[in-house]
Amino acid sequence: MPEIEIDPTTRIEGHHSTTLNVEGGVVTEAKSHMDMFRGMELVVLNRPPSDAPVFTQRVCGVCFTVHRQTALLAIENAAKNAGVFDGIPDTARKMRNLLERMATLWNHAVHMFALVAPDYSDAVADTGLTRLDPMDGAGYTAALEAQRKLLQGFAEFGGKAPHPLTYAPGGMSANPTIEKLQQISDQVEFVSDWLGPTDAVPEVIENVRNDRFDPTLGEGLHDIVSLLFAAKEAGADDFGVGPGRYYCNGIYPDENGEDQIPSGIYVDGELSHPSDEEIKNAITESTAHSWYTDDSGGSPMEESPPKPAPDKEGAYSWGKAPRYNGMNMETGSLARLIVTDRDPFDLRATLGGDPTKSSTLNRLIARAQEALLLRDQIVELLDDIDPNGTVNTGWSDDFSGEGVGLWEASRGALSHWVKIEDGTITNYQIITPTLWNLGPRDDSGTPSIFETAVEGMTVADVENPLNVMRTVRSFDPCLACSVHVESPEASYTEEITPASPGSALTAACDAPIAGEEADDT
Amino acid sequence: MANLGLSTADTTRRNFLRLVGSSAAGTVMTEYSTDVAAALTKATDGTKDVVWLQGQTCSACTMSTLQGTSPSLEEAISEFKLNVTYHPEIMAETGQDAIDAMSDDPDILMIEGAIPTKIPSAATFGRDEKGRRKPIVDWVKELAPRSEFVMGIGTCACYGGWQSAQNGAPAVTDDTEEGPWLDDNVTGAKGVQFTHQQGDEGVLGPDFRSNAGLPVINVPGCMTHPDYVLLTVATLLNGHTPELDEFNRPEAFYGPLVHDQCSRRGYFDRGEFVDHVGEDSEKCLYTVGCKGPYCHCDDSVRLWNDGTSVCRNVGAPCIGCMEPAFWDNMTPFYQPIEEQGLPLGDIETAGVAAVGATAAGLGAHAGRKAMGYGDGDDADSATEEPPRPDGGCACGSECECASEATSTED
Repeated sequence: MPEIEIDPTTRIEGHHSTTLNVEGGVVTEAKSHMDMFRGMELVVLNRPPSDAPVFTQRVCGVCFTVHRQTALLAIENAAKNAGVFDGIPDTARKMRNLLERMATLWNHAVHMFALVAPDYSDAVADTGLTRLDPMDGAGYTAALEAQRKLLQGFAEFGGKAPHPLTYAPGGMSANPTIEKLQQISDQVEFVSDWLGPTDAVPEVIENVRNDRFDPTLGEGLHDIVSLLFAAKEAGADDFGVGPGRYYCNGIYPDENGEDQIPSGIYVDGELSHPSDEEIKNAITESTAHSWYTDDSGGSPMEESPPKPAPDKEGAYSWGKAPRYNGMNMETGSLARLIVTDRDPFDLRATLGGDPTKSSTLNRLIARAQEALLLRDQIVELLDDIDPNGTVNTGWSDDFSGEGVGLWEASRGALSHWVKIEDGTITNYQIITPTLWNLGPRDDSGTPSIFETAVEGMTVADVENPLNVMRTVRSFDPCLACSVHVESPEASYTEEITPASPGSALTAACDAPIAGEEADDT
Repeated sequence: MANLGLSTADTTRRNFLRLVGSSAAGTVMTEYSTDVAAALTKATDGTKDVVWLQGQTCSACTMSTLQGTSPSLEEAISEFKLNVTYHPEIMAETGQDAIDAMSDDPDILMIEGAIPTKIPSAATFGRDEKGRRKPIVDWVKELAPRSEFVMGIGTCACYGGWQSAQNGAPAVTDDTEEGPWLDDNVTGAKGVQFTHQQGDEGVLGPDFRSNAGLPVINVPGCMTHPDYVLLTVATLLNGHTPELDEFNRPEAFYGPLVHDQCSRRGYFDRGEFVDHVGEDSEKCLYTVGCKGPYCHCDDSVRLWNDGTSVCRNVGAPCIGCMEPAFWDNMTPFYQPIEEQGLPLGDIETAGVAAVGATAAGLGAHAGRKAMGYGDGDDADSATEEPPRPDGGCACGSECECASEATSTED
């Protein structure tokens, strides 16, 4: 079969590619390949629990706080289960809740403008939206400046960003001061002015409809609404449609340990709020189509550390396939807003057609809605942090136990699973939101959310499946992606193979090229 | 670039001068700072093509480069006339268009992330001539010899990073099923010219020189500092060769010892240490594992995120992230190196009897564990290795320079 490939997909984090079989202009099969393996779950073994947050933070330089946070939750949970830890001080809890929100807001700004917006820019899609043009559009560069300010505020507590070292076992390392809180407040205010007031949304919508631009109501808001309208115009409310099953972990605990955003499972129109224990028992990973041995799958707490099997028959991804009671689940901003039953300004109901619909447009709208909600919460939280509060009373690695950290990255549900014996990590598993959204098929052959969402999509131009790319990026995957289109109509296979003298080295290496059998024509 | 007019150029020049001015004395950056600054306004013959590749990466080095302010990335692109022909995360093009856009003889090849060699398919993009997924190692081998300059961005690209750190699986499992999962370095991750493991070579080997006659210029860090990336680019484009240390890091940024410039240094010299992480005090963090005495970079002064802060300033002990093999040599992170498999007597020396002891009694073997590739297989040869000349107090009590390092504290 002739193959057309669009590889790599750019503007997402990491390495990813997708193979599409297109017949008669319709995607008949999609395979989502994660093209990178690093072995974090092996490297972190045989080390003390307190090293896990520092290591696993490096899973992602975009989700740079959440892996650290979730690893901390896992080892702190294990220490609690072992009866040697009572929980982090209240001021530390508030600081983590604040910083996590800032990191998610930062991610959303970067995602919307640097990764997604170019797809709707004049430079890429002839939309006339020159403000969104990569690197030199005025909206793009304003967003770059805003994200810098936000991280500068973050660094007041974080020390640096990305990869702040300030979340520590037992709480925080940073002590809040009035000066630091004021500095954060100033930077947040700058970002807030760029974004614009939340209650201006209806007016900005009118402005965008009438081609007006009022910077006093937020440059950022105008650009975001323009982006959403461009996506609507492209028909994004009707493509990239997933099964509409959602999962999120509970986050932002209050002083009583109640999560301000509760855990949630939304299946067949029914919303439930499972306990942490129920979530833990419901999650399994399948490696049927992953480049790992079969015993690398199963219940995360019990499965083997990942054993790479790069020449495994039928495998096509370095990602595993996580399932919730056997079901594939969508995760991310849209899931969080559905679980909390929020649709600010009815944007998903009106623009998106249905607030709970799993569509490319609804994922973008939800991220924008959440950005506004987060900004408002951050402003409130800043006033709530005691500059003299205790942030840490100490930590000891010397215990045995099991623990799970359940948290939300900006792009969705994240969990870390750890087993500790006498102060040493003996098993560690990480299930990322991108695995939930863009993993491979499971042992029953059920595709992941993204694979499902793309199958059946119309591809007008197999050489430029723009709407497929828009759909990939709508999940904000933590992997750089690419798309391969295989179509009987295509006839330019040869053109896509750049010369690579360097591949002689690969031939010399004894290792097989994973995925060869899956993609060779 | 309508939004990046002349006023921006003025700002950039001023910031740039401030930055190079604060670099360590006697380096190329300051020696030629006027010339380097001139690069910002000098009309060049066309643009400079940049290719930025990502191997086994978390992208933090890209995210960090986006945080630059002196100059910012967009200012650098505009003012240095950079044509970023390929960067998987920020470019407009995608798929084959992206690969077509990539310069095949770039002026600057920047590599972020480690390069897997044993399982080359552990990081791929695009296809090779046989239609197979093309490993990053092939891209590097192909592009580097055609590049004027090659830069390693971040610790993974410089030395292999955490991907090449000690695999703990063999130590904790009874499972003996053979496979790469039990190998020391599971994917064979390497840096471009150095590796995590002493005695091994990076992908390009020690003799590699780019077309400009230079080795791979390394700007490590987990993540790297945006100034280290962008100011090194400015220096190279202006025709100056930065002075490099033994790991081919620009001395201007990687010469200072974190410890020597640390805001908490005075407490170290007086022997005042914190009891636990998060203690509300300005005392020295050595007792909770700070690796500042073994880590080279100027971030104690330069700070991060437009001069906002740095790890120690928020109570976080340095993890030594600018150094090769720090994932093994500097761990456990929350323990002083003296406590890591070394005689108990050293703990006393380091933690309590600091006052008056040269370099507060940082053991010589502790320094050797941390510096460079750490203790070699042959303990005797490690003992004979001379301390690093710029190592300051980390040289330990046998070294004369220790007292100097203490007395030059500001």
